Amino acid sequence: MRSHVGANQADGHEDELLGKAYDSRLVARLWEATRAYRRVVLVSAFLFFPIAALELLQPYLLKVAIDSHILRADWGGLTGVAGVFLLTLAGLYALRALQSYLMQLTGQRIMHDLRHRLFAHAQKMDAAFFDKNPVGRLMTRILNDVEAVSDMFGSGVVAILGDLVTVAGVVAVMLAMNWRLALVTFALVPVLAVSAAYFRGQARDAYRGLRTRLARLNAFLQENLQGMTVIQLFCREGAEQRAFVALNSDYRRAQFRSTVYDASLYAVVEAIGSAAVALLLWYGGGQIWEGVLTFGGLVAFIEYTNRFFLPIRDLGAKYAVMQAAMASSERIFGLLDLEPGIRSGAAAARSEAPPIIEFKNVWFAYEGDEWVLSDCSFRVAAGERVALVGITGAGKTTIARLLNRSYEVARGKVLVGGLDVSEWDLTALRRRVGLVPQDVFLFTGSVEANLRLAADGAVRRDALERAAAVANARGFIESLPEGFGYEIKERGANLSQGQRQLLAIARALVYNPAVLVLDEATSSVDPESEALIQDAMERLLEGRTSLVIAHRLSTVQRADRVLVLHRGRVSEEGTHAELLRRGGLYSRLYELQCGR
Amino acid sequence: MPERLLLQHLRPYAGRYALGCGFLALASLCALAIPWMVKRAIEALEAGSAAGELQGYVAIILALAAAHGLVRLGSRFAILGGGQAVEFDLRNTLYGHLQKLSLGFYQTHRTGDLMSRASNDLSAVKLLVGFGALSLMATTITFVGTLVAMLAIDPRLTLYAMAPYPLLILLAKRFNSTVHRQSQAVQEQLGALSAQAHENLTGMTVVRAYTMEAGELRHFQRLNAEYLARSLRLARTQAAFSPLLGLIAGIGTLTILWIGGAAVAEKRITLGSFVAFNAYLAHLAWPTIALGWTLSIVRRGLAAMGRIAEILSVEPEFRDAADAVEIAPHVRNAAIEFRNLSFAYEGRGPALRNVTLTIPAGSTLAVVGPTGSGKSTLGALVPRLIDPPPGTLFIGGRDVRGIRLESLRRAVGYVPQDPFLFSRSLRENLALADDAADGKRLAEVARVAGLAEEIEGFLHGWETVVGERGLTVSGGQRQRAALARALLADPPILILDDAFANVDAAKEMEILHALSQVLRGRTTLIITHRLKAAREADWIVVLGEGRIVEQGPHDALIERGGLYARLWRIQQLEEEISRA
Repeated sequence: MRSHVGANQADGHEDELLGKAYDSRLVARLWEATRAYRRVVLVSAFLFFPIAALELLQPYLLKVAIDSHILRADWGGLTGVAGVFLLTLAGLYALRALQSYLMQLTGQRIMHDLRHRLFAHAQKMDAAFFDKNPVGRLMTRILNDVEAVSDMFGSGVVAILGDLVTVAGVVAVMLAMNWRLALVTFALVPVLAVSAAYFRGQARDAYRGLRTRLARLNAFLQENLQGMTVIQLFCREGAEQRAFVALNSDYRRAQFRSTVYDASLYAVVEAIGSAAVALLLWYGGGQIWEGVLTFGGLVAFIEYTNRFFLPIRDLGAKYAVMQAAMASSERIFGLLDLEPGIRSGAAAARSEAPPIIEFKNVWFAYEGDEWVLSDCSFRVAAGERVALVGITGAGKTTIARLLNRSYEVARGKVLVGGLDVSEWDLTALRRRVGLVPQDVFLFTGSVEANLRLAADGAVRRDALERAAAVANARGFIESLPEGFGYEIKERGANLSQGQRQLLAIARALVYNPAVLVLDEATSSVDPESEALIQDAMERLLEGRTSLVIAHRLSTVQRADRVLVLHRGRVSEEGTHAELLRRGGLYSRLYELQCGR
Repeated sequence: MPERLLLQHLRPYAGRYALGCGFLALASLCALAIPWMVKRAIEALEAGSAAGELQGYVAIILALAAAHGLVRLGSRFAILGGGQAVEFDLRNTLYGHLQKLSLGFYQTHRTGDLMSRASNDLSAVKLLVGFGALSLMATTITFVGTLVAMLAIDPRLTLYAMAPYPLLILLAKRFNSTVHRQSQAVQEQLGALSAQAHENLTGMTVVRAYTMEAGELRHFQRLNAEYLARSLRLARTQAAFSPLLGLIAGIGTLTILWIGGAAVAEKRITLGSFVAFNAYLAHLAWPTIALGWTLSIVRRGLAAMGRIAEILSVEPEFRDAADAVEIAPHVRNAAIEFRNLSFAYEGRGPALRNVTLTIPAGSTLAVVGPTGSGKSTLGALVPRLIDPPPGTLFIGGRDVRGIRLESLRRAVGYVPQDPFLFSRSLRENLALADDAADGKRLAEVARVAGLAEEIEGFLHGWETVVGERGLTVSGGQRQRAALARALLADPPILILDDAFANVDAAKEMEILHALSQVLRGRTTLIITHRLKAAREADWIVVLGEGRIVEQGPHDALIERGGLYARLWRIQQLEEEISRA
């Protein structure tokens, strides 16, 4: 029980955990992911050098303009410098735009690739994987985690490189121009670095606290919305409102704390920037008197100082992007590393394999040793129609799932066409053994697309129409606004229960498997639709080997043989009439069914 | 309407916002004074004045920098803090209002939608009254202040420097609306992509059975490629947009360099003025860029406020009438009477038709019948989870609509089939009716509900957190917990709506036996599909399609050989089969 709670909690906060900003193993795999775009990555990184050079040139142009032209009233020379300045502006704009685009290009393409890999990987996984990984979690990987990784390329790692280049360039130029004045400026760097690191750290902690409190507040709200009836029945509105206000003010306090550190960071950095100007004026003023420094030099220095401080201020933000990317890529690769538990066998399509299915002493459990099937054996001959009956939980659906190898048996053998399902090529097996699950799952898209499913281009439109006609579905399809082009909404919400069942039969006809495993729907429909469904089903089963999990009297009556499944094995078998006469479990099941 | 509601929530903090505005003005003054001091310092240098004068300016700059930092902080605390206060109030109001809305509202509004309004929309409103307000005020003050300072230095230079601004503002606005349009296209595509992935993952059984994997992957690939294309379109716009800040600042510098430089050369302005002017123009770059962003915050904030106002304008369905009465919490005469009651849910056919039925005080009535026969509706009417028509439902001889809702609900213990437990400790969950209940009383109701032993077995006993974010308890355990928490209130009326559906039959009988003592003196309505549980009741009512089709004690109903007798036979068969 403890582990269960732990798992739940880990799940809830899994995305909150932030660890290292650099993990060599993960970085190596991410680098691998950029393989196809390496040239773009390198070009965008290389662009930092001309960008930094142009940026450094601007203050210098200012210096030249002041010292050589403005103070000497040289209008022509000034115009020349202004022209060069205009060129640097244009160049900078173009280069920055190009670089920004290239960085986004890499990030977006990597996101695209990772999404593709994750989705493709999910298509290969077996049913047990989906039992363990809820859809919500997989969606988080496909939607959010890949985004965090893409951010790293868009604004994280590459930008840090660029900042380093700029800072190094500024330091070099300042030292070369006037090393003493440069050292005066640098004196403020430790103050800046320490206070930025302090406030950034505090802001990050505060932000984390803020996130936790917001999560708590929203969890409380969501749960209370779901349980509103209980609150109202127990007249707890007052108490719950008080609890909500307490959480809300907790959140408000955390938010303000976060605001304090965020605002302080910017205020302090700005103040230090102004202090740097004051220092430059004070020390540089002395140098001007001594004739060591020109006015232009002083102005240029003030400009350089600005360009020097910003990257140091923003380093922390980029660090956070890297951290998030590492955590996300760890989860992405963790998922990609999972191997499907069921691997396709080598035996390719065997059209000559007779449509026979057989269970030989099959044992199966979804978890541990809670056996759902225990020593289950039966055989369905070619062309035979067998009905499977039994109470809920007897293992009927499991039998269907094992036949198309959604799950792997624990012991014993499942044979299709005389060949163990584990030896079959998975696609070939599933083409051979068609499974119609009890709940009709329709996809958003046209009626036509829902009939085709796997059979993409292979089936012609007139074949689809014929199948629909055989399934008694053509009538209602053609009465829909756009006929076969009618768009079905999520889960088939805009069709009736009966129409959905007819579509399920029609698409099984299109799929046309030699062996059909059909889990009859239990939901009731009006008598008219029921007649249509029964009639269609009869035509679907005609001439096929079939195993039908039966809920209708007519199904068992028309079956060649009935298997009664009880406690994970076949307890009785025979025709409907024989079994009734025997007066065993079947006769009671039958009476029960009729009584309803 | 949304604007009025917003103003109403802003009013209490008018003082804070005014204070923030004052701070912003001071901050702007400091920010403008610093370049002015630099100008004076450089002029002093040019004039070759005494070192003391320069040092004086340096000291003033340092003091101004410190002051600027402080008032800037003050402005943020005042305005952002004000925005957070508005958010706080709005959230409380919204929650308080949601608590007043009834079951009908929650059946038509999905939790996800309500959550999105309470979190995303509220965030958008906070952005509007926080950063949005700050940014609007700061932009206005900065523009006015900077223009004044620049005009003071040189009107002609100001005119030249400002010439490109109308164009820049227009450009920034257009970029912003393009970005907005394109990011919406990206979001839309992300929605399509995520819908397909979600559908594929939920429908994996069919995907597998019909070997659709390759086709599904191609479909995903198409959506994914379109997403990439749209994202790159956005990236191109942003690539053109983001270096604009540097360009605007650069064009300012260029103007000063060329035209201002000439002015210095002509000795129309000093070198100090030249430097200060450059600094002033730099002030304007960011507000210009941010203008479009600020306006979109305002637009989105108001739209979000509209969605919140929509919820706040839903009138609570139930309000106590002015003359509603209390019923004493332990009324003796708690007979329940349905008088020719018919009920239909909105937009659907009748769920109950002409039901007339009396449950005498202190007796037990069982209601049975097939799924959809109206059993649960009958139960939900008593605590007014849904509202009976006037003059159809009476408790202790009084129309329930005339009883104060709170006192009615305190008198009725209601245990639904699928009870909801909060992600809190078991103690808190069971003590919903009375936070102050002591351990003895809790232990007693847990015993009656057949839950005591299991609680002992939990790792943290009574402090074990259950519910969605805690220990997953079985459906049966949840039902018994719900029974216990209803019993804790000691209600004179008890409604068990298929309350033991997930408890096995033997355990149900055990609980019913333990209950029988507790039920003595209470008016009880047991809705069940297990006839064995109904058998013990004083009177049994069989519902079919919303009508009473049979009623009487068990033996009489069996003898009649009607619907009840048939259901009884079915359940006997089920029992036999499961024993086989």
